[in-house]
Amino acid sequence: MKLAVWAYQAPAHVGVTKAASSFSGIHTVLRAPKGDGYGAIMFAMFERLGVVPPMTVSAMSQETLAGAAADIGRAIVDVDRRLAPEMIVVTRSATAAVLQEPLDGEIAMIPAGTVKAEIFQPDTHPVRDTEISAFAKTVCQIVDHFAVDGRARTLEPSVNIIGPSLLGFHDWANVESLRRLFDDLNVKVNAVIPLGASPADLRAAGAAWLNVTTALELARPTLERLHQRFGTPYLETVPYGELGTTRFLGELSQILEIPKERVRYSARNAKLGWYARTVDAHALSGKRVGIFGMPSAAAGIARALADELDMRIEFAGTFVTEEGDWLRSRVSDLCSEVLVTDDFQDVARAIDRTRPDIMFGTQMERHSASRFGVPCAVISPPAHILNFPLGYAPFLGYDGANYLGDVVNQTQVLGLEHHLIETFGPRGQGRFAEAAPEGKEEAVPTSSELNWDPSAERLVGRIPFFVRKKARVNIEKYARERSIAVIDEATVIAAREHVGG
Amino acid sequence: MFDSGADVIERDDFCSLAPIGWLHHKMQDSFFLVVGTGSCQGFLQTALGVMIFAQPRFGTAVLDEDDLAGRDVLTALLPVAQAVVAEHAPKAIFLGSTCTPEILKMNVAGCAPAIERETGVRVYPARMDGFDASYTEGEDHVLLAMVERSPAGNDANLVILGCLSPIEEAEIRLECRAMGLPVPSFLPDESALNLPPIGEKTVIAPVHPYLYQTCAYAARERGARIPPMVFPYGPDGARAFYETLAAAFGKSVSYEERERGAWASCEREVEALRGRSIAFCSDALLELSMARTLRAAGAHVPFVATPKVYKKFHALESQRLAGVDVLEAPDRFAVFARLMSEHPDLVVANLNIANALEGMGFNVKWSTELTFQPIRGFSGAQALFAMFASAVRRHDALARGRASVGSEVNPIDLNFFRPERHRVPERIA
Repeated sequence: MKLAVWAYQAPAHVGVTKAASSFSGIHTVLRAPKGDGYGAIMFAMFERLGVVPPMTVSAMSQETLAGAAADIGRAIVDVDRRLAPEMIVVTRSATAAVLQEPLDGEIAMIPAGTVKAEIFQPDTHPVRDTEISAFAKTVCQIVDHFAVDGRARTLEPSVNIIGPSLLGFHDWANVESLRRLFDDLNVKVNAVIPLGASPADLRAAGAAWLNVTTALELARPTLERLHQRFGTPYLETVPYGELGTTRFLGELSQILEIPKERVRYSARNAKLGWYARTVDAHALSGKRVGIFGMPSAAAGIARALADELDMRIEFAGTFVTEEGDWLRSRVSDLCSEVLVTDDFQDVARAIDRTRPDIMFGTQMERHSASRFGVPCAVISPPAHILNFPLGYAPFLGYDGANYLGDVVNQTQVLGLEHHLIETFGPRGQGRFAEAAPEGKEEAVPTSSELNWDPSAERLVGRIPFFVRKKARVNIEKYARERSIAVIDEATVIAAREHVGG
Repeated sequence: MFDSGADVIERDDFCSLAPIGWLHHKMQDSFFLVVGTGSCQGFLQTALGVMIFAQPRFGTAVLDEDDLAGRDVLTALLPVAQAVVAEHAPKAIFLGSTCTPEILKMNVAGCAPAIERETGVRVYPARMDGFDASYTEGEDHVLLAMVERSPAGNDANLVILGCLSPIEEAEIRLECRAMGLPVPSFLPDESALNLPPIGEKTVIAPVHPYLYQTCAYAARERGARIPPMVFPYGPDGARAFYETLAAAFGKSVSYEERERGAWASCEREVEALRGRSIAFCSDALLELSMARTLRAAGAHVPFVATPKVYKKFHALESQRLAGVDVLEAPDRFAVFARLMSEHPDLVVANLNIANALEGMGFNVKWSTELTFQPIRGFSGAQALFAMFASAVRRHDALARGRASVGSEVNPIDLNFFRPERHRVPERIA
């Protein structure tokens, strides 16, 4: 037993449900105590689905404990009759697994012909699998189940996008961003898996020329399986950042034999690279950042921030512990520290220790960073309703790179404003005053033998807070060396001329 | 077996760990230690997790494979409890047992005395599994654990049972003083250690319809008197509640005038509801009381779907709802069919189907909010009706806006994510 108040990953049955219910025409029946079915509320609330959530709980009751049959057959028959899905995925929560009900037997007892849908039980472990591993396995198994051998490739170049799902991080927008790119390249989207893909789409999964992913850790088994069965090549690169997207399209265009000019054309709206050159972004150079999240996101965003915005990566990390080595292989040239942990307190300590200028993390890091006054942009699940925006906010593709620039911008006090605040001080600057860090205005102790004229005090007060203390020390040193007893405006000016600051 | 038309299959129920959300706020010196799976932890994180900032005074002792394989519970649990005491220094720990311990017949409650002895902190063992309990009944089980520890008493006293906000408590306190009743004790109170004496001369007045187990225990084991209640929701409910309290202490008090005044103050909200039809399909166990007062306000209630009705405990509420069809633990789809045929002006529904019902064209009020709002007593009546009235007004306002351009909303479904959605249909191209 271990005390847990917060976790990066949900239990395995949530991963199975997220994967299975994201397909269209597939409904999940979860055998569990009713409370385990809170995933249904997440579908309804976060994705704002205006339909019955694509999952149903076959609830265990007091009678179950007294030895009554699970009766999962009833739930299956009912879902089949009322919602007519093509497939019903049956899974159970850890609690239900403990009871070891003979679900197979009960399913086998459903009279033939009663249920039109196929019944499918993914091979995942309710305790040993995590949300992510269960998700990845479920997607793979369902795709493998439906995919039909011997399908010819599509006439025109086409891709499957593997990884996006309901409750995925900005996934609707990510898919839209990639789709716009592929439109430019005349590449068709064969299927988005699992988000919205129907069994008919999956039967034709082998028809795609190439498979790409929005998150390698969610898609790896499926990519490998489709490669095995259909010889379909796949890209491991996830298109984060402008350069990352260009790299991604480079690999893609080589395989699909797309002319270079066409790829260049698709980059016509890419702004991140140019933004980095503009004066506004100069202040970002050398800014120290921490990154923590899903492995693909952490690796992709770390590279974009370092290579494209010249930011310094203090640490990068992930909570998907089995992907730790993969992440290390991707970012070890960018940062000395790669943090692999599923304990949010470890990440909080890393933020505290390194005090980055900006943190990029999950909702948990946003909470932790705020404790240390560090601004944080959320770039990975676990997410919040705020991470399901109505508008178009992709993280992938050129549009995603542009949006990443916006995120960095919004998290920062802007360059030119920053300069002005530094030069003139935050006072009387209206809303800029809010930008001044609090608690930095405390009086600096002055030496007893020196007197400060109020006019000199006022002038020093206008010096940016972070150099004010040093300026004071310099001025007093200057005054002492010249036996000046009262520091007035003239002393301040003269000191600045001689000592600097 | 498989002719499932009328069977109870799928209900839309929330987890009975949910009351931890309000109970840990009420009892500021408490810690809720839940013994369960990662799923319990996930639920608490998802449903109540926003409170993580404030060092949450709740957490889950997550069962690992050794625990599931039969490791001694106390051996595993004691260090966790000791760590909780060291870090949070609570005055009392509520030890919540969930579904998995129940299945494994783990004696979590049996650990309480030993943990109490070892840590010096009071431990209330509460059964918080969701096999039978509706979600609000998690509070019932917590209060039951407290009543079990209440001292015996020989004097006449009044215990107001059920978690209330300070403002609601203040009204009850004032009214009791005005009627010359004993100063009421509240359970739960600000401190988890405050337990009123309960004996044969104790009158217990439950303020929520979901506190049956606690009342039954107090009556059975302590001989406490629990008068049949109309719960203090709406002016009619508040009047009946106070008149019942007075009668329990042998006083005859009329709140008729007071009720009339309260209705008058609620007129703006009530006016929006009069003649409207409002159906219930939620699981807060507040459905009967809400339906009763809405009907008294002039709304039409075509039916009430609720997880369960306690025949005796809810007898007076049921009486006042005579003529309204009450569906106990109905199948989700049966409710949908019923809604389709009745098409009420407002549907009070759970979170997981609220959006789906909006997608079907219904106007929905999400029910979970009912349990979070200070809506009891005369002073809460306006807020109570406002929750429904604002839903009706919002719906009308949005419909007016829509009608002005004659367009329809697009509910999001899975087709929304499919690629063909992005192709211009041929009939348009």
